[in-house]
Amino acid sequence: MTDTVVRSRRGMSRRTVLFVWNTLLAITVGLAFLIPLWWSFINSLRPGAETFSYLNPLQWQTFFTATPTLENYLALLDSDLGRAILNSLFVSVVTVIVGLGVCATAAYGLSAFKFRGQGVLFSVVILSFLIPFDAIAIPLADMFRDWNLQNTFIGLILPGIGNGMAIFLLRTFFLAIPEELVEAARLDGLGWWGVFTRIYLPLSRPALIGAGLMLFLFQWQAYVWPLLMGTDDEHILGPVALSNLQGQFQVDYGVLFAASMVLVLIPLAIILGFQRYFIQSVSTTGLK
Amino acid sequence: MTASRGRPRGGGARRVLTGPAGIALLFLLPALVSLVVLRLAPAAVALVDSFFRTTLLGGTSFVGLGNYAELFGNPDFQNSIAVTLLFTVLINPLQIAAAFLLAVLFTRRAAGSRFWRSMVILPIAVPPAVSAVIWSVIYRPDGLANGFLAVIGIPPQPFLTSQYQALLSIMILLSWIGVGYWMMFLIAGINDIPASYYEAASLDGASSWRQLWAITLPLVRRPLAFVLVADTVSNFLVFAPVQILTKGGPNGSTNLLMYDIYTRAFTFGDINRAQAEVVILVLITVVIVALQFRLLKTED
Amino acid sequence: MFEPVIASFEAEYPDITVEYNQVPFDTYATTMQQRLSAGDDTIDVFAVDQPNLAQIAAQGFLEDLSDLKDAAQDATSEAQYEINIYDDKMYALSIWNSTQMLFYNKDILDAAGVEYPSADPADRWTWEQVEEAGVKAQEAGMESGLLLEQVEAYYQLQPLVESLGGGSGITGDDMLTVDVTTDGWVEAMDWYAQTFESGFSPRGVGGFQTSAVFTDQKTAFFVGGPWDVGGFAANADFNWGIAPHPYFDGGDAVTPTGSWSWGINAASNNKAAARAFLEYVALNPEGNLTSTETQTIIPANSEAAAEYLPTLEAMGGDNSAGAADLIAYEIDNTAVARPVSVGYVQFEALINQAFADIRNGSDAADRLEQAQQQIEDAWSQLR
Repeated sequence: MTDTVVRSRRGMSRRTVLFVWNTLLAITVGLAFLIPLWWSFINSLRPGAETFSYLNPLQWQTFFTATPTLENYLALLDSDLGRAILNSLFVSVVTVIVGLGVCATAAYGLSAFKFRGQGVLFSVVILSFLIPFDAIAIPLADMFRDWNLQNTFIGLILPGIGNGMAIFLLRTFFLAIPEELVEAARLDGLGWWGVFTRIYLPLSRPALIGAGLMLFLFQWQAYVWPLLMGTDDEHILGPVALSNLQGQFQVDYGVLFAASMVLVLIPLAIILGFQRYFIQSVSTTGLK
Repeated sequence: MTASRGRPRGGGARRVLTGPAGIALLFLLPALVSLVVLRLAPAAVALVDSFFRTTLLGGTSFVGLGNYAELFGNPDFQNSIAVTLLFTVLINPLQIAAAFLLAVLFTRRAAGSRFWRSMVILPIAVPPAVSAVIWSVIYRPDGLANGFLAVIGIPPQPFLTSQYQALLSIMILLSWIGVGYWMMFLIAGINDIPASYYEAASLDGASSWRQLWAITLPLVRRPLAFVLVADTVSNFLVFAPVQILTKGGPNGSTNLLMYDIYTRAFTFGDINRAQAEVVILVLITVVIVALQFRLLKTED
Repeated sequence: MFEPVIASFEAEYPDITVEYNQVPFDTYATTMQQRLSAGDDTIDVFAVDQPNLAQIAAQGFLEDLSDLKDAAQDATSEAQYEINIYDDKMYALSIWNSTQMLFYNKDILDAAGVEYPSADPADRWTWEQVEEAGVKAQEAGMESGLLLEQVEAYYQLQPLVESLGGGSGITGDDMLTVDVTTDGWVEAMDWYAQTFESGFSPRGVGGFQTSAVFTDQKTAFFVGGPWDVGGFAANADFNWGIAPHPYFDGGDAVTPTGSWSWGINAASNNKAAARAFLEYVALNPEGNLTSTETQTIIPANSEAAAEYLPTLEAMGGDNSAGAADLIAYEIDNTAVARPVSVGYVQFEALINQAFADIRNGSDAADRLEQAQQQIEDAWSQLR
């Protein structure tokens, strides 16, 4: 009796030490990753002419400012960044929705079934993301021009929806789903579509979020492709608008950093917002 | 893992369910069509282009493997291959080890863990043009990196202006961007491991290091395999930071193949040889990825 | 950027509307190359980076404007007229022009006890003088002595080579013979390398970060363009001055020139309207002047420039005194344009890499030898 009490108390204190130690480590690592972004955030709050004033030696002004100004952000109102962000958001969200559907069904087809030629199809998926997209953008752009897709949202969205890497990712996690579960469901009369939507999808939330983020970022950061497809005002995207802020002769770094803060904000909200679901998985949903 | 040990996660066992191939194909169809039309077809065009040569003042003619022969005879291209292979061998193990350790750290109990974890993932969302500007300032001789080094008493380093440090500097930048992203997938894998495994191990008196090796690492094998392949491929496709920060220099020390392709195609307008280079890059990637798959299989 | 000129044109030609599309500068040439070669007919008028004109014209992307030759010759300087000619035909009209001058920090020169350089081209300083004065400024506490704005760009460094008679680097009847290993090239690049080796110029600062080195008072001398007058007027809180672009002792006075021309897409469906717009912006002094309203850049039209330069000079107050006369003088007397060659694009990319390596410590003669080889290789795909 006393023995167990002592042991658990010692365990507690060891756990507390570990907790403090992990917290310290997490903060240190988090800060190290944050510093470059924090520095640009601070510089988005001061005139562009001061960007390089406090670099070396390090001083408190390097990472803080006593006189923050929103002027750089106000300057963005005159640019087409607002419209570009809305466009980028539209393109990315449509890509994520359609793309997740396309990729998840494909991953399901590659993991829940066993058939001849499966290996070949999986190789096609792998091969598709080994081909550097920016390098084949030129022939692809010629094809799209033949189909009259320049300066259209369809032209911007299409290349994003079939993503071999996302299929590969989803397949990896789909393979981890216990087959007993599928067997039982089939015996209960669930069809293949039902197995997909009632078992595979709910059990793979973290992977779906990861694949969604992958599809989202592909579009959110697209640069070479939109330039080839056309850059008229109605279809301008975020990264292109960002580059347009850099003139030929001078760059206002204050405005540039302000624009990138705005561009980072939406992915940040997504990453923070979805963290909650990230914890859920096979073992925590109680299905195990 | 053997099937007899309860197969907690279906661990690598073959599916016993054999659904009709027709249904599987139906599920696969939309993706296959989009991949074939949007990736493989233009790649096939590129492959065909690589056997031709179109010149500004001449015209188009079939040259067979001529473009390839010229590339392999070119010292700059040879250097580019060497730099790319060195880069691949160094950066992938480093990034994956870092991503794994961070994933372990950020799945342990700690105050504000979720918030700090987000900060590590965040750099992937920074537009490449901006992360390059930020790091050009960090790496300036009078920049932030030397500022931090000065605090701990290390003399200023040349970073991007030295042919011995430039590639390493690019790798650090890329790791800042990507490690959190890959960590994310490993966290998802670690979270799938039932807590009972650790509890059992703890009762057996296994240390946390021992648990890391004996439980965590083997059980995230699949997500780890995904990260290994995906990270390797992504690193083959890097060119934006090189383009903005070093333009392949100093002395070709950061002239990665993808950057070489990009300049050849977009700056020089030498499409045919650029496409030949793309074919070579894809072949190299295929070989390395195939090796990785084989390696992971034999461990099974 | 071009809203004012579009508005004034549309006011004058009510039945034509102009739609403006911007492509980021850093990817402009490559994006245009792709879209033009695909016969993109959504483009009517487009800007041509002047040294790229030959290559674009040779590919047949530019409408022949030879019937406007006389009007163009009257409207602009000789160098700016000739730059649009390829194979005896005129393919574009000059819109903007540029030059470079020497900016200096008056406060630090005072502290170092150095007399200011004069703004008079007759008293032009040599690079040797700049170095001597800059070293004194460094002794007086300045971090570095000299920085050139586009540290690794042919536009900026060609005058160094040409000042020593090294030639442009491109020769031959078809302008496809590389020649970057002449004595002038090696000597100029040796000098350039040594300014970084000795710490007189700072390494590792490039891109758009160079002019901030001057406004942050970290260099005594800065070689930059007219656009810097506006920038420094806004951002420099110390006294500064301008002087003519330096030359090498015993060499020629040479300054960079050139900027953008505009041409008509051969695949355009609106050529008549495109022509009206182009003529308005290039040949009509008023139209040309409005094109510079949102930029500190010299209009290529001579009449427009005469009207513009005093405004430019006034921007910097006392600091930029003498700028108008100096710029007008340089454009007429010392400007040397970049070579017109169908291989210029490849040449520039490769020689700029060589400049970067030389700046970072590569041996100039060896590196130029290597560049010679690389450019010859790249050009082999043109023929």
